[in-house]
Amino acid sequence: MLSMSRRKVGGWFNRSLPFWLILPTILVLLVTQVYPGIYTIWLSLQARQPTGWTFVGGNNYKRLFDMGQFGESVGHTVVFLVGFVVVTLVVGFLFALLLNRKLYFSGLYITLLYIPWVIADIIAGLVWRLLVVPDYGLLSGITQNPLFFPPNGLSILTAVPPRPWLGAFPFPPAPAMIYLIMASAWRALPFITLLLLAAMQTVPSEIVESSRIDGARGWQVVRFILLPLMLPTLVVALFSLTLSGMNGVGMIFSLTNGGPGTSTEVLSYLLYSIGWTQREFGRAAALAMLIAVVNWLLILGTLRVSRVEERGA
Amino acid sequence: MKRLWSLSTFIVLIALVLTGCVAPAPAGSTPQAGADAGAGVKDFVTWYQYDQNNEDTKSDERVGNEYIRKTIPLFNEAFKGKWNWVNQPKAFDKMGTELITAVQAGGDVPDLMHIGNSDLLAFYQNGTVQDLTEWAQAQPWFKDLDPNSVTACQGPDGKLYCIPVAEAPQLVFVWKDRFPDGYPTTPADFMKQAEALKAKGLYAITFFGSTDYDGEGMSRFFWTAISSFGGKLDDGKGVMTLNTPANVAAIEFIREIVTKGYAPEIVFAGKFQEEEAFKDASAGSFPTGIFGYRYVNPLTAPSGKKYEKKNEEDMLDAIAAGDVTLAPFLAAEGQKPGCNNAVSAFTIPTGAKNVDAAKDYINWIMGAEQNPAWVLGPGGGFPALKSIQSAESFQTPFYKEAAKVVAASNCHPWYGSLERRQEAQKLIVTTIYKLIKEDPSADIATTLTAAEAEYNKGN
Repeated sequence: MLSMSRRKVGGWFNRSLPFWLILPTILVLLVTQVYPGIYTIWLSLQARQPTGWTFVGGNNYKRLFDMGQFGESVGHTVVFLVGFVVVTLVVGFLFALLLNRKLYFSGLYITLLYIPWVIADIIAGLVWRLLVVPDYGLLSGITQNPLFFPPNGLSILTAVPPRPWLGAFPFPPAPAMIYLIMASAWRALPFITLLLLAAMQTVPSEIVESSRIDGARGWQVVRFILLPLMLPTLVVALFSLTLSGMNGVGMIFSLTNGGPGTSTEVLSYLLYSIGWTQREFGRAAALAMLIAVVNWLLILGTLRVSRVEERGA
Repeated sequence: MKRLWSLSTFIVLIALVLTGCVAPAPAGSTPQAGADAGAGVKDFVTWYQYDQNNEDTKSDERVGNEYIRKTIPLFNEAFKGKWNWVNQPKAFDKMGTELITAVQAGGDVPDLMHIGNSDLLAFYQNGTVQDLTEWAQAQPWFKDLDPNSVTACQGPDGKLYCIPVAEAPQLVFVWKDRFPDGYPTTPADFMKQAEALKAKGLYAITFFGSTDYDGEGMSRFFWTAISSFGGKLDDGKGVMTLNTPANVAAIEFIREIVTKGYAPEIVFAGKFQEEEAFKDASAGSFPTGIFGYRYVNPLTAPSGKKYEKKNEEDMLDAIAAGDVTLAPFLAAEGQKPGCNNAVSAFTIPTGAKNVDAAKDYINWIMGAEQNPAWVLGPGGGFPALKSIQSAESFQTPFYKEAAKVVAASNCHPWYGSLERRQEAQKLIVTTIYKLIKEDPSADIATTLTAAEAEYNKGN
């Protein structure tokens, strides 16, 4: 009788063991992902009064759309994301191509290349800022010299953006935005380069060699052999860059603080500003929800494109 | 064996999860605090932007750091066997939000926090601070407070949510040699002297002109200029009114300064870097808070004389030597020079554990013995207690000159009846920035109307 009930308990335990094993992960996900997500949705529908939270429905979203700064920030975000992702991917790919060749001291180059990645983005931003502080920066003597940037020289951090070509869309961007893209790409470059280099080194040399025997040259090898075979890694790189570009605020905070004016104020910085400086947590939560939706759309879009590409390849 | 292995794995995992759920030790119970406190002695926790452990003599916050370091033993001695002061240093631009979130999340809050009055409304709206009206009115020092400072500590319901200790008005630091005929008193006079300085390759003025820190420039220069033209930003009932003739005239004046090159480009760089142009005397004047004397150093006078102690003494020495003078800002015809007045105060957060200690501390600081040191240290301005204003500590050349300047000015907080101060500040400064720098040809009145409409939609 006893051995039968023991066997029953043992059977139940064995059957439910997988559940118990994944329970800690589920609990961690509930606490760190699900609860904050639900809380943010709730918060986005509330406004704070001295007596406590009050339900305001979609008013936080409405107030967000009423802000002139919101539309501007969307434009800045698009410009920043496109610039950051394209520059980092293209330069990263070129660096990976170079390092993939049998160069002398390539180990040393890779080590040096890795330096920006280990510097905190706040520190990196400060260093880039110190280079071009108007009149007093290390490089401002060059950038503000009319000989190099006619007719009046260029004060990168304070120069106003050119008049937009397409209505209110902030293109061409302000020099500070271009500088911010360069600084952000500089910092992201090591990871992307190494990621692409690793992927490049997994491409079988026989395939590359046989394509050359078949007459493929330079760009053709890259376009028809390397790129298709590296596609899964490129998608990962694209993911990583898009999400870090969309949500990162450290570099902007230390390099431009959203300026000059609002010309480098992207959505993530606006979120910081509304939540942390203006202390309007309801409106900040509404913006956080919108950013989350954009993130999901970007991820879905990237996945979709990569599936189509994979099928095509 | 297999079952035993599975069972042990299961037990270890459950143990790990349960251990992770155990509440962490409260942040305030640092080893230092625990070690210092004897039996029956309770910790009294404060949040200041100053760090008693930072002994860097070149730190920007050296004065406040040193004050806290020296005063902790004095307080602990005065309240021996009762309270043990534990100061937790916080970043000046984040401590307000940290307090609000700590109160809302039911986290650890200090027993007392040093604040500026511009934060008060956010605290009030978020239910972050305690009503101190009854207690304060019963204290002997209450009737001695400057009524303006009391008003700055009141919430919209008329109750007192902070205790004012120091007032920090704005004034203009001036390199005397750059303005041999004295600092201009009218806009026309300013433009004339600015043109003369420009001809010599110099700038008449540097100011906080960027949109940094969500519009910090509002309280530093823009309000000084607007109020000196008789401008106002609200109708007294919480409605923003930007498009007024006086405001338009003030912005036209600032726009002219910028477009004619009377101010250096670093004005727009942010992060307080506009100070650089005053430090090397390339700019002749610098409107900012009275506390600015601590931060603007080292200095090189127009004569080439250097003040290089790299602390607050540089500015005080330059003033004593007559190289730097203090002046009220200019004013439009029929107006008095305007300026912002910030109040430095104490507040007791909702959920504070040791309110009695906080009240003892406030009474201790409001006493004649401790008050001047606090005002000179963390306060960085004039005493809010009228009887202390005549104390010997405030009879130095710097304070005497500053007192004259403030008496000649009309200083009051920029926000008036506007309730969403941080939002208003950012919106107004961004609008002014666009008008003076980004698009100097834009119609000022139209742009101001659009900005006020955007704010008032949220009322």
